[in-house]
Amino acid sequence: MFLLDMHCHSVASDDARATVEQYLRWIQVLRGRGYQVDSIVLTEHRRFDGAADYTPLARRYGVVVLKGSEVDTRWGHFLVYGVTDALLRAVDFTDVQMDARRLMEEARRHGAMAIPAHPGRFGIGLVEFLARGAEVPDLEIIEVLNGGSRRGENERAEALLRERHLKGIAGSDAHFVSTIATCLTAFPHPIHSEGELVEALRAGEFRPLRLEETAPTPLRNTTK
Amino acid sequence: MRSFADVHLGDTIGPVEHTFTTEGVRAFCTLWGQTGESRFTSEEVARREGLPGPIVPGIMSMAVLSRLLTDWADGGSLRLLDVIFRQPVPHHQPLRLVGTVTDLRPEGGQGVVEVDVFLERADGERLVTGKALLAVPLDAG
Amino acid sequence: MATQVEFNRSLLGQPLPAGTFTVSKEGILAFCRAVGETNPLYTDEEWARRQGHPTLLAPPTYPNLFIRHLGRPEVLSVPVRQRMHAGQAVEPLRPIYAGDTLSATTRLKDVYTKTGRTGTMAFIVWETTFTNQRGEEVARVRESFMARL
Repeated sequence: MFLLDMHCHSVASDDARATVEQYLRWIQVLRGRGYQVDSIVLTEHRRFDGAADYTPLARRYGVVVLKGSEVDTRWGHFLVYGVTDALLRAVDFTDVQMDARRLMEEARRHGAMAIPAHPGRFGIGLVEFLARGAEVPDLEIIEVLNGGSRRGENERAEALLRERHLKGIAGSDAHFVSTIATCLTAFPHPIHSEGELVEALRAGEFRPLRLEETAPTPLRNTTK
Repeated sequence: MRSFADVHLGDTIGPVEHTFTTEGVRAFCTLWGQTGESRFTSEEVARREGLPGPIVPGIMSMAVLSRLLTDWADGGSLRLLDVIFRQPVPHHQPLRLVGTVTDLRPEGGQGVVEVDVFLERADGERLVTGKALLAVPLDAG
Repeated sequence: MATQVEFNRSLLGQPLPAGTFTVSKEGILAFCRAVGETNPLYTDEEWARRQGHPTLLAPPTYPNLFIRHLGRPEVLSVPVRQRMHAGQAVEPLRPIYAGDTLSATTRLKDVYTKTGRTGTMAFIVWETTFTNQRGEEVARVRESFMARL
């Protein structure tokens, strides 16, 4: 089993305060407590930094670091995996009112994948727009478990998943160091690149889980 | 006196229970120069603005989080408190102030401790989230 | 085409004098009472002196009190439905003492849009530096306001 946090933000996002290295160091703390975390996908808000190279950090800490993005659309936020230069030319990631259907189509055309983030989120999640008549017939995967959700929001995503027979991924939506990897997506095989991640998503063999479910031993109490 | 050598990655600060009262918020607002009824002191104004009830000013939440940190640092000093107000903070509800040590580095003859701080409800829902930097002596001796 | 909010771009990065504020002993003590602060550095003048300070210190977030009194121009040139305080950062640089007079200089750092639980929002970020009567920078405060469009 290979465990990825598919949604997190570093200081490259306006409202996040953790560096990538701090996340990776914190994952060592989690591993020390008996949890399993193998990879994170950086999904910065409304941007994709193709030039950023986290290979040396990833190697030092033994964590696979992948890059995606979280963009704003008229139907809520979407996580985009497998971003390419061609996709960045086709879609303006800074447009907070972009057409979600077009984003999904363009992503597919360019070998990437766009997945609704926290669809149960009040006011902004896809669930709200579906209730108002939005149609997304090609919807297959949603982020069903999000670490930043308020009470009731993940439950609304779960209801959508069941109702439409969708598949679900999970991510912490971390903005601060200690909130990384609270929610993870389990894949059957290791993933080493964004391309492999899109392939694994297409294969459909994955499931969401919470960090607590990865610990073989009881939690160590660190409170002083 | 807290020394750098005593602090470890993953240490928890608190939790400390805290309840804001309307009287306390009123006193803070008077000091702040926010006189008259507002979303901070009046049920009616708060509801008119779409809030469930009167709320605590963001800078008052910051003051209480700062207290958590400087009490813990016990002689150390606050270098930065950087917070995001995620949800309105209500009056008369038992809340929890809590921190987690997320990074440690010696810097300029002192130890810098980086902390994630949270003001959360009893059910764990986080209303204010933030990051803080504290400077503590490298050696308490 | 990205959704941009109309605002007065000439303000970006411009230092604006934004007022002068006096730190009083009574103000510090009232602040401590209101937030339950009991650290004697901020509540006991004698104790503060014994620690090598000239008088009572202001708690680290004390400069936050002055922010709402800053004289600042309107930034957005579009109608706003509601304003909320989105975030704040205070960076204490040197001790602030009872009796200090602080001069504030404020700058518009950033204006950008995003979407959230309450719809499309513009974020306005200001940064203010406070300088004491000896010309020393004592604190920086960065605030982020959210305007619902």
